[in-house]
Amino acid sequence: MSSKPDSALIIVGHGSTVNPDSSAPTFDHAEVILQSGAFGEVHCAFWKEEPSLRQVLHMVDRDDVYIVPNFISEGYFTRTVIPRELELEGPVTQKNGKHLKYCEPVGNHERMGELLLKRASEVAPGVDPADCSLLIVGHGTNLNDNSAFAAKREVDRIRELGIYGEVFNTYMEEAPLINEWDSYTTRPNVVVVPFFIADGLHSYQDIPVLLGIEQETGTAASQREIFRQNPYVLRGRTLYYASAIGTEPAFAELILAQTALFDAQTSTHTASV
Amino acid sequence: MKRNLTTAIEKWVAGGLKFVGQLSILSLPEGGYELRHAEDADKPDLDTFHSPSKARSISFFDNAGEYRPLKTAPNLQHGWRLVLKDAAELRAALDHFYPAMTAVWLSHLENALTPVALRDTLNRQTGMYAATKRLQDEEGQELVGRACAASSCTKRILWNFGPNQPLTTLEADKLPPAPHNESKPPSQMPLLCHEACNILVAACREVVKKRERAAGPPPDPSAAHPTPHPTPHAAS
Ligand code: SF4
Repeated sequence: MSSKPDSALIIVGHGSTVNPDSSAPTFDHAEVILQSGAFGEVHCAFWKEEPSLRQVLHMVDRDDVYIVPNFISEGYFTRTVIPRELELEGPVTQKNGKHLKYCEPVGNHERMGELLLKRASEVAPGVDPADCSLLIVGHGTNLNDNSAFAAKREVDRIRELGIYGEVFNTYMEEAPLINEWDSYTTRPNVVVVPFFIADGLHSYQDIPVLLGIEQETGTAASQREIFRQNPYVLRGRTLYYASAIGTEPAFAELILAQTALFDAQTSTHTASV
Repeated sequence: MKRNLTTAIEKWVAGGLKFVGQLSILSLPEGGYELRHAEDADKPDLDTFHSPSKARSISFFDNAGEYRPLKTAPNLQHGWRLVLKDAAELRAALDHFYPAMTAVWLSHLENALTPVALRDTLNRQTGMYAATKRLQDEEGQELVGRACAASSCTKRILWNFGPNQPLTTLEADKLPPAPHNESKPPSQMPLLCHEACNILVAACREVVKKRERAAGPPPDPSAAHPTPHPTPHAAS
């Protein structure tokens, strides 16, 4: 892995004013990257938490700055909000003596499928994937982002590998619905991985209720307990439920991979001009 | 690298900086620094921690365990002390307790901080926050007086309501600090708000939406111009 002691990295997350776990993976990945020495400085910035996108550039000492959105896909935030708030003019922006390099969102990286497979095998240790239905659960078609499209792309890739008995995209609000999981899966084991950047109400409460492993009255605050009780035996199957894919520690590698990809694309572009 | 915030913080503390927000900073005789809640100055039985990242978990919750989305709210939890080995760790810890505040203060000292009027922040919004463009002067001033009051947030506000339109509802302790005296660094570092935070922008939207809901639905434009299905971020 290349080291950039003279460059800074800003990881941009959405953040939340109600969910303290929203920004946690972004901070965790930043910590890992800082410890690794891959960048001279690492900072986080958020849309709904602090430091804000309007504050973060003041925090950066170095002039060479990579910006990676910690988002599951391209969308309204990566295309509109982040560029507007940071006053970016494109992939490269010169601003107050700083060279700002706007990388692709982490979820766009081609290694996302690899991470989903890692998480799926870790949550169901010793289970033969051939006897397993893998469900990647997303919110649904939301015009703010292309996460449904991105989830479908990952499922297509994983399906092609032929490792799991079957692989499905499933959604909270549209077909195939996550609450009907037992009607379209056929294998004895079912592994469910939420396609979200952070844990929160959806992964702690909404999806568990839809899956049938939690009662309606479950409080969001019971939180991580939900992941500790695997496997769940219900509806005649054995179900394994993972936490949001964005909490996967290997996400830090994908963030770095996006900065490397930015360099590779920029140098190709420069070479071809 | 034109500037070094770590060195700047080191100099401020050596020059007499003792307080940042609700924190007290102590230079330890054996080297390094100690942070604690300023109100815990004389408390003997504090839990001692040594990692700057511990500042993150402390800063996220108040005494009652409630989430603190605004880190400059005056509800920092008590009962801990954080021992940090050098200025780099001090900088990292301060960034968790008061995100960006040391950096913004340094930019302010370097005349590199440009306040943005609330109207300019609101006029830039898109999607669900585009509604804030319809905030009226009077309700906006009243909201700032409430949402940004010292009981909610300890930052001093550098921005105006609109270009050439001052804020009218805030106490003096919320307004910009007196000009900085180069020869004598302050013992308390001011926390500066150079642009409205997202919490205030979201509150502006609520004020507009509440007023518009109370006034009843606008004339239905779909009779003449069918509109696409609204989205959560559609301008409205
Ligand atoms: S706008 Fe500034 S002063 Fe008002 S609450 Fe937000 S951070 Fe505090």
